[in-house]
Amino acid sequence: MVSALHIITAALAAAFLLGLLKEQQRGLAYGITLLTLALMSWISAGWLWTFASTGTAAVEIFTAGTEPPFAINLRIGLAEAALTLLINLVGLLSALALKDTLLALGRRAMAVWLVAVMALSGIVLTRDLFNLFVFFELTVIASAGLVLLSEHAKNDGQALAAGFKYLIVSQFISAFLLIGIIFAYHATGTLNIDDMAAAAPLLGGGAAQAFALAFFLIFIAVVAELKPFPANGWALDIYESAHPAFSALFSAATGAAALFAVDKLLLIGGDAWLPMATGIGIVTFVAANLLALPQTNDRRLLGYSSIAQTGLILAVLGQRDILGEHTLYIAGGLLLSHAIAKAGLYWLSGLIAERGLEAWAALRGQPLLIFAFVSFISMLSGLPPFPGFYAKWELIHLLAGEGRIVLLGLILFGALLEAGYLFRWFGYIMKREAPTEVVDNVAHKFGAVFATLAALAAAWALSLVWGELAGLQFDRFNMLLALPLLFALAFLLLDWLPVWVKNSLAIAGLLAWFYLTYTEYDPLRMIFAVIFLIGGSLTLLASYHEHGRRIGFYPSAMLMFAGLAMLIRATDSFDFFVAWELLTVGSYFLILRGKHSEPHALSYILFSLGGAFLILAGFALATQGAPYFDLAALADLVQPLAPWVFLLLAIGFMTKTAAIGLHIWLPGAHAEAETDVSPMVSGILLKAGLYGLIVLLLTMGRQDFYGVELINAMLWIGALTALIGNLLAIFQEDAKRLLAYSSIGQMGYAMFGLALMNHLGWLMALMFVINHYVYKSMLFLSVGGVAKRTGTRQMYRMGGLITLMPLSFIATLIGIIAVSGVPPLSGFGGRWIFYNAILTAEARLPMILIFLAGPIAFLYLFRLIYTIFLGQLKDEFRRVKEAPFWIVLPQMIYVAILLVVAVVPGLVLRHVDAYLNHFFPNGGLIWEGTTITSQFGYWNPVAIMIIVGVIFMTLFAWLLFVNRRAQKVKQFNIVFSAERPFRPETTHFAWNFFAPYRKALGFLTLPLVTLFWSTMTDLLHTAGDLARRFYTGNGQTYAFHLLAFVVIVYLFGMGVRP
Amino acid sequence: MISLAQMAMAAGFVLILIGFYGALTQRNLLRMIVAFSLANTGVHIVLVAVGHMRGRTAPILDAAVPVADALTRVIDPVPQALVLTAIVIGLGVTALMLAYALKLHARKHTLDIAKMTELKW
Repeated sequence: MVSALHIITAALAAAFLLGLLKEQQRGLAYGITLLTLALMSWISAGWLWTFASTGTAAVEIFTAGTEPPFAINLRIGLAEAALTLLINLVGLLSALALKDTLLALGRRAMAVWLVAVMALSGIVLTRDLFNLFVFFELTVIASAGLVLLSEHAKNDGQALAAGFKYLIVSQFISAFLLIGIIFAYHATGTLNIDDMAAAAPLLGGGAAQAFALAFFLIFIAVVAELKPFPANGWALDIYESAHPAFSALFSAATGAAALFAVDKLLLIGGDAWLPMATGIGIVTFVAANLLALPQTNDRRLLGYSSIAQTGLILAVLGQRDILGEHTLYIAGGLLLSHAIAKAGLYWLSGLIAERGLEAWAALRGQPLLIFAFVSFISMLSGLPPFPGFYAKWELIHLLAGEGRIVLLGLILFGALLEAGYLFRWFGYIMKREAPTEVVDNVAHKFGAVFATLAALAAAWALSLVWGELAGLQFDRFNMLLALPLLFALAFLLLDWLPVWVKNSLAIAGLLAWFYLTYTEYDPLRMIFAVIFLIGGSLTLLASYHEHGRRIGFYPSAMLMFAGLAMLIRATDSFDFFVAWELLTVGSYFLILRGKHSEPHALSYILFSLGGAFLILAGFALATQGAPYFDLAALADLVQPLAPWVFLLLAIGFMTKTAAIGLHIWLPGAHAEAETDVSPMVSGILLKAGLYGLIVLLLTMGRQDFYGVELINAMLWIGALTALIGNLLAIFQEDAKRLLAYSSIGQMGYAMFGLALMNHLGWLMALMFVINHYVYKSMLFLSVGGVAKRTGTRQMYRMGGLITLMPLSFIATLIGIIAVSGVPPLSGFGGRWIFYNAILTAEARLPMILIFLAGPIAFLYLFRLIYTIFLGQLKDEFRRVKEAPFWIVLPQMIYVAILLVVAVVPGLVLRHVDAYLNHFFPNGGLIWEGTTITSQFGYWNPVAIMIIVGVIFMTLFAWLLFVNRRAQKVKQFNIVFSAERPFRPETTHFAWNFFAPYRKALGFLTLPLVTLFWSTMTDLLHTAGDLARRFYTGNGQTYAFHLLAFVVIVYLFGMGVRP
Repeated sequence: MISLAQMAMAAGFVLILIGFYGALTQRNLLRMIVAFSLANTGVHIVLVAVGHMRGRTAPILDAAVPVADALTRVIDPVPQALVLTAIVIGLGVTALMLAYALKLHARKHTLDIAKMTELKW
């Protein structure tokens, strides 16, 4: 094994060697620099491999041949090896990305670069306090030089100002550090960190107090290197103005080294100093994320995010007392996620010509770089399968186990803010107009591209490692290697194939997975399995209609389906949550594909992540410190914990079912999605939320929350959701939005049914689950087909399409008959069970609401068929053809399914009915032949079908007979009386179709909820925007911030300390 | 009776405070750098003062101080080593700041720190 000391000597030797070269030998100098950095990385990698594979203890390196205190010693262990590898690799890759600049500036710049990387490794390795100071000063001097690298290309003086501000602040920091060190030495007689840690607790009286003050100065000085809020204006200016390759080093490597230094210091200080670290860390995390919201400069935004992540890790280090041996796994996971993602993003920013966030739309033509960007922001947001996810999971569980709820809440709040601006940025990339200046010469920026892709590879490799580690720790399978997830990821590699191949593979995959697993499901889960897998493949038939490659569609769609498939098989909280996050992320990418879906996809992912965080908090509370638990164990929870868990989980699931108040993301997300995506996210995805509620109610059932029966609250929410959802639907002009609002209403019905908590209520909810899938998929497809042909979704601009698109008409007709719940189709079955169910329930008032919702549903459905297919044909649509074959085919299959289910509903329902007897033994139905009997009456679907059929045929024949001589009136028999109206659509009968109802009931549809949420986001933005003005740009103000920070922390912190 | 070391330490802290005050109130880059030099000197004096031991000699082992007596006759060498290193580093930082001031003046034709605020928020 090569001594780790050579990480330092190699860099120093090479830096000296560079001085001996001629100024012109720049290629050679650059080669030496790269080789040296590679050598340093190789040494670290060798040690990392040794420690990871053999588990040997850390190795001491005595520099002057003697032991401390007579010489400085270094130490390399697992953490040190990993961190120096990170630092050296970032140094190497950044040097690659800096190729042009370094070659232009020559050997001096390269020598400074080497010294910077060496100093950072030194901070990690050294065990001597004064040596730590020296390495910090070296870092400062080298960084102040390297900040100017960007001046070579930009030459606008910004980096100069930023570098000077940095030097001002660093002067203060080094004064604190030196004074602290000398007094700490005076008190303990040693500079060795471990010796000092041993000596400090033995001090008594005045010496102990003097030492505490000295230690405070050292601690605050090193913490100040972490750019804590608010003493961090200087760092932001550096992030904004420096060369991105340097910012990558500054964010990833400097941050990592300084954090490790804080970790070493906490060893000296002991547990008494942990609250201070936590406090500074969490305030920084939340504040930096808040201030990042209004940022428009990409590099400054990344700077805020860097500061936030460092703050989070500092807070984690401060929780060492309860995290114990997990600290390394958690802090390491967060740190590596942050470092790799941030370095990758900074390297990427080197490819973008302009600094606005929208300018990143230039990446759009580069699928690989987009994938890298997505991986990086997912990593930062702590999404599976990246290391940050495991770290977050464990952190939240341990915090919840110890009852540190406030910290837990702040962490999740900050994480949500961060996800907000990161995903908003991704929306810009995918949807905003790309600048004319495309990616700044990708071919010439080989180094930056290479570095980005290396970070991408590292990201996924680490995911594998962290998955394995989690597997070892909890004795479970590596989540990343779950078959559905691998299948989804495989589509990333297959994205070059044409659509029809990928579509066939996807369908085959879904069906094969169903075949492999169908024996595992109980009847309840079977319903969901059939909808997710078989239903999913049916919906995918419509995707055959697309041509070309459709880059990005299949990985996203299959990620969602993988999540859904894993969700119903999950038996413990961890698997469940992983699946939940996967399906959320996958569906977000799917929704984002719609042409105008940028804001809607963002609100979808924010509501979903917010909901997911609530679920995470609920699970964490429920486990009480254990890493995960069996979902069935939810039933064992008792007061006072149980209602809180129930509340958190229920609200989390209700974000997915779009319960009223949490529904505002749904209409846009479903309506703006692509034609074949709408049925997926509406017909299929919404069921995931219902599935969650079912699991929750099956295990936890009735919960009393300070005298409120929570299930009753849900009953009310369900009823209100049904009513308001339907009301909103009738006033939509856009056909797809109408269907989307109708979904909200339908989910309200299903929630209401579940909340009834009796046999028939559940049967009805499950009936709704099936029916809603079938008819909503069908309606979205037929309306989508019409929209595709006519080029509009506004219903008043259509009309008379019945003869041109007869199949779509039939599908819509059957669909609305089914939705409205009139005989003879399956919707009636749902209604019948529903009426039976509410007759047995006690809740009268919500029952009235839900009764009211029924006729309202009929209004919007009538409008759908009347204004699209009946009435006058518009002139411009005279040549419209039937919807494409592949969009019509699944609709016809759905029609067949609806008809079959209408005649023999027992095919599905009787099994479920029987299964529900396990949970609700009373009040089931009796299935005899074709008749179904409840305690209030009976239902014979076959007879009803025949009766309705006979009545229909009779009336139809009569109509044909009386109309045989009718004269057709053509469209242009009517003219405007010589005047062209100002807004022609207002004269169309289909526009504002239900105006009288709007007059009567419009007050119920005021967008109060939207107003509430937009006010919330505005408030956050305004707060961030006001607060960031605090960074005036004046170096002296920044220095004053630092002093104020030190004083405030001292007053707070020393007061808290025992 | 105030000892020499105590006086030195007090003087050191006073210098540090003067230096910090100057660095925070003087808007001219060069004056700020001078202020920091003052503060640095103060820090160095504090370092030396902490390491001072009454009645002892410099930690150099030669004819005057036999090795056997060294432990009782020389002062602790560590603060001395530290202060030397700190002086060198301080010199480096000061030189760097001066170079920055030169460059900034060449670019902006001013030495006023308050006029270097393009980057903010």
